[in-house]
Amino acid sequence: MTTAAEALPARPRPSIAARVWAFVRRHALAAYSVLALTYLMLPIAVVILFSFNDPSTQFNYTWQAFTFDNWVNWDSVPGIRDAVILSLEIALISTVAATVLGTLVALALVRHRFRARGPTNLLVFLPMATPEIVLGASLLTLFLQMRFATGFTTIFIAHVMFIISYVVVTVKARLVGFDRHLEEAAMDLGANEWTTFRKVTLPLIAPAILSAALLGFAISIDDFVITYFNAGSETTFPLFVWGAARVAVPPQVNVVASAIFVVALAAMAANILYQTRRSRQAKGTT
Amino acid sequence: MTLIHRHRWLAPLFLLAPGLAWLAIFFLVPLGFLAYQSLQSGTFEQGYTFTWQFSNYKDAITGYDEQLVRSFVYAGIATVATLLISYPLVYWIAFHGGRWKNMLLLLIVAPFFVTYLIRTLAWQNILADQGPVVGFLRDIHVLSADGRLLATTFAVVSGITYNFLPFMALPLYVSLEQIDARLLEAAQDLYASKTKAFLRVTLPLSAPGIVAGTLLTFIPAAGDFINAQLLGTPKQYMIGNVIQSKFLELIDYPAAAALSFVLMALIMVALLVYARVVGTEKLTG
Amino acid sequence: MTDLTRLELLRRAALGGAALSIPGFLAACGGDDGETAGTTTGESAALASTLRFSNWQLYIDRDAKKKSPSLEQFTAKSGVKVNYVEDVNDNATYFGKIQGPLSQGRGIDRDIIVMTDNSRFPGLLVSKKWVEPLDKERMPNISNLIDAQMSPPFDPDRTYSVPWLSGITGLATNVKASGGRIVTTMQQLLEDPKLKGKVTLLTEVADTMSPIMLENGDDPSKVTDESWNKAYDRIQKAVDAGQIRRFTGNDYVADLERGNIAAALSWSGDVATGLAANKALRWNLPEQGSDIWTDNMFIPLDGSVPTASEYMNFYLDPKVAAMVAVGTGYISPVKGVKDEAVKLDPESANNPLIFPDDEILSNVVQFDSAALNNQTYIEQWQQLLGA
Repeated sequence: MTTAAEALPARPRPSIAARVWAFVRRHALAAYSVLALTYLMLPIAVVILFSFNDPSTQFNYTWQAFTFDNWVNWDSVPGIRDAVILSLEIALISTVAATVLGTLVALALVRHRFRARGPTNLLVFLPMATPEIVLGASLLTLFLQMRFATGFTTIFIAHVMFIISYVVVTVKARLVGFDRHLEEAAMDLGANEWTTFRKVTLPLIAPAILSAALLGFAISIDDFVITYFNAGSETTFPLFVWGAARVAVPPQVNVVASAIFVVALAAMAANILYQTRRSRQAKGTT
Repeated sequence: MTLIHRHRWLAPLFLLAPGLAWLAIFFLVPLGFLAYQSLQSGTFEQGYTFTWQFSNYKDAITGYDEQLVRSFVYAGIATVATLLISYPLVYWIAFHGGRWKNMLLLLIVAPFFVTYLIRTLAWQNILADQGPVVGFLRDIHVLSADGRLLATTFAVVSGITYNFLPFMALPLYVSLEQIDARLLEAAQDLYASKTKAFLRVTLPLSAPGIVAGTLLTFIPAAGDFINAQLLGTPKQYMIGNVIQSKFLELIDYPAAAALSFVLMALIMVALLVYARVVGTEKLTG
Repeated sequence: MTDLTRLELLRRAALGGAALSIPGFLAACGGDDGETAGTTTGESAALASTLRFSNWQLYIDRDAKKKSPSLEQFTAKSGVKVNYVEDVNDNATYFGKIQGPLSQGRGIDRDIIVMTDNSRFPGLLVSKKWVEPLDKERMPNISNLIDAQMSPPFDPDRTYSVPWLSGITGLATNVKASGGRIVTTMQQLLEDPKLKGKVTLLTEVADTMSPIMLENGDDPSKVTDESWNKAYDRIQKAVDAGQIRRFTGNDYVADLERGNIAAALSWSGDVATGLAANKALRWNLPEQGSDIWTDNMFIPLDGSVPTASEYMNFYLDPKVAAMVAVGTGYISPVKGVKDEAVKLDPESANNPLIFPDDEILSNVVQFDSAALNNQTYIEQWQQLLGA
């Protein structure tokens, strides 16, 4: 055997250039990805950075001095506190409502066969395919024609409307891969449908519902266009920013935005860690 | 529960009713009202009356053809840009991300958690005439001494690209992640080069993701008005700006409604063409 | 019995006579129950606990802690808290927001709103009866208004409004961004190639059209199709040539400070408060003149008339008006403000932007209000703005 090995010609050593090129090629994708992620994070870094700025004038675009003051006195700008509270309230209740409604629809679409499945799918998909400006404007038209006052209720209605579609899509995706056998096993063991749903189905689709709820919450907090049309004289946080942007955006706006960012990021990260751990436990590996 | 047992068909109805009712009342009906309004005539002072005014549509198309075309061009360029920028990134995460896949994906979505307006305003800050980016570009003579990035088409399209990147990246990721790595191994066992493996195996398998991402990016981008408003001049204004102003400032509801439907119709047309080219099954999944 | 009644009658007569002989005292009280000014118990019964006030940005005095001294004084004096919201950015947009509920006969959760007289909206608010009449009994200080403000065309008897502040449209230059040149004429603004792409105009029709018409030799207070089209074409040419970066409301200030734009058609007060901070900013009236305008306070439907009127009366006191004028850099419509301003800040009293001299005043006009309502002009203007 050694003779055969000796008979093989020695592999030529690659040149330095070739080795460098190979290195670059191997890591080009990684390098590009780092660049791309930096590009994505750049504006956010700017926003967070400038939340610590102490501007000498009302304008917050050149770096003057570092201060924690904006974070401590985040609500010293008139109107910002009410706007943030309103945004949070709306996001909370519309997310809850939309998640419930959307989950029910998703369950129906995946679990049951019925003739109107196609049109239902379409109806759910359409709001996502409609430009926000049309959604907002048409809702406003409805409220005007029905002589219904715009304000908190109309913002709530609008938000639930456009969040439902996202919830359905998210939950549906998880439900499709759901193992029905577990439910059948539960029922074979004597549980009725409601108990099965409560003890078997719900816990297993809970992660999907949670993801959908988080997504819905994020969309609601962030929504500008549809809210712009239907808010009446109420001001949510994005609307407040729009108004402030006409003259000068105070650093407190950066503070609120940074805070929402950090909380949302942490929540999502926690969700991911939790899901990863659950799936590892389910697989029985460490 | 026995009621449900006996009438199986009722079950989906109970589940669907609330959600669908909400959508029907607050999505379909408003569109109906919008259509009704698009056929009205009159002014704000005098009031509006329903007069089957189809000329509103004609006026909308002829009066704002520039903005309509511009919106679709910008949205198209931005969509292609998001695809080109996010594909390598998402590919890397899907195939080389390992344990950190989800976290890295989170980083892509993270910009989403900062309010849309603030993200765009941050770009306004970064691309400011006296800012570091423009200064640098002027130094290396990419920009003339008087050149600027803000208030240009470049700024508006860049803004749209940045803001809608997650919409393209996420569906792309989903379809790339589902590709079985063994298929690629098989291709290489069959003597395909890495490039060929990519072109013949990965790319086609990621097609559903590309389709979904394109739709999710193009459609909202076409109706956007914020990027044009904050980063552009009236020469960059898109159809969204016109609709917004007609609804909220000019209070010219019939014209605004007609324009909205023209926009939707054009998007539907673009969707149909795309579906024809790509195959309908991939659309509604 | 008769003695008592006669005594009672005499006593009442004496009281009545005493009351009659101090009419000023009663007038200052406001309200026909004869309450005296300064007491809060009887008066507050008619006043709301909070005054909801919508105004433009940078339009009230502010101290270093971002609080408004004049509003705090009002709260201390009347016991009414003020919820001051700066949500008016542009007349058309604000009107678009409030016309929904108002057209359905509902209020907008505000007691005072402020709109400019060189837009068509004050006229619309009055003609559509979307505003409440003022309680003049509470407003003796209304006589403090300067003569020029006593009878505006949209509200000749001052039944529904009182002025807040006046301002002049002019040319602001950032000399660092403009390469040292100061812009003094509209021609420079619209046609100087060195300023290409670094110029902004205002979205308000009157503010942009007036100086251009004046330079054309036309009269903005009497607009004709010919004078309109001539000015319009000049603007269109500048837009097409890429000279105009955009049309702005209040938001030109940020771009000007940053140096994104070199010259802007702007409002006198914004630059007066901004000049102090940025040494590169200059402001001057266009050589051929421009327009002067006044913002007015209205009480929208369902607003609390007594509370709003009380505040307006408080504002029309020269001491208070001086605080606001000096704090914002705009022109006060109240008599005697200059003397009070000297006490607050001697330097401001010499500021021609807050206290314009006759030369400036002779060079500014008020825009034709009929032209503001001309539907053709309105549509043309929107086309120009790109929407």
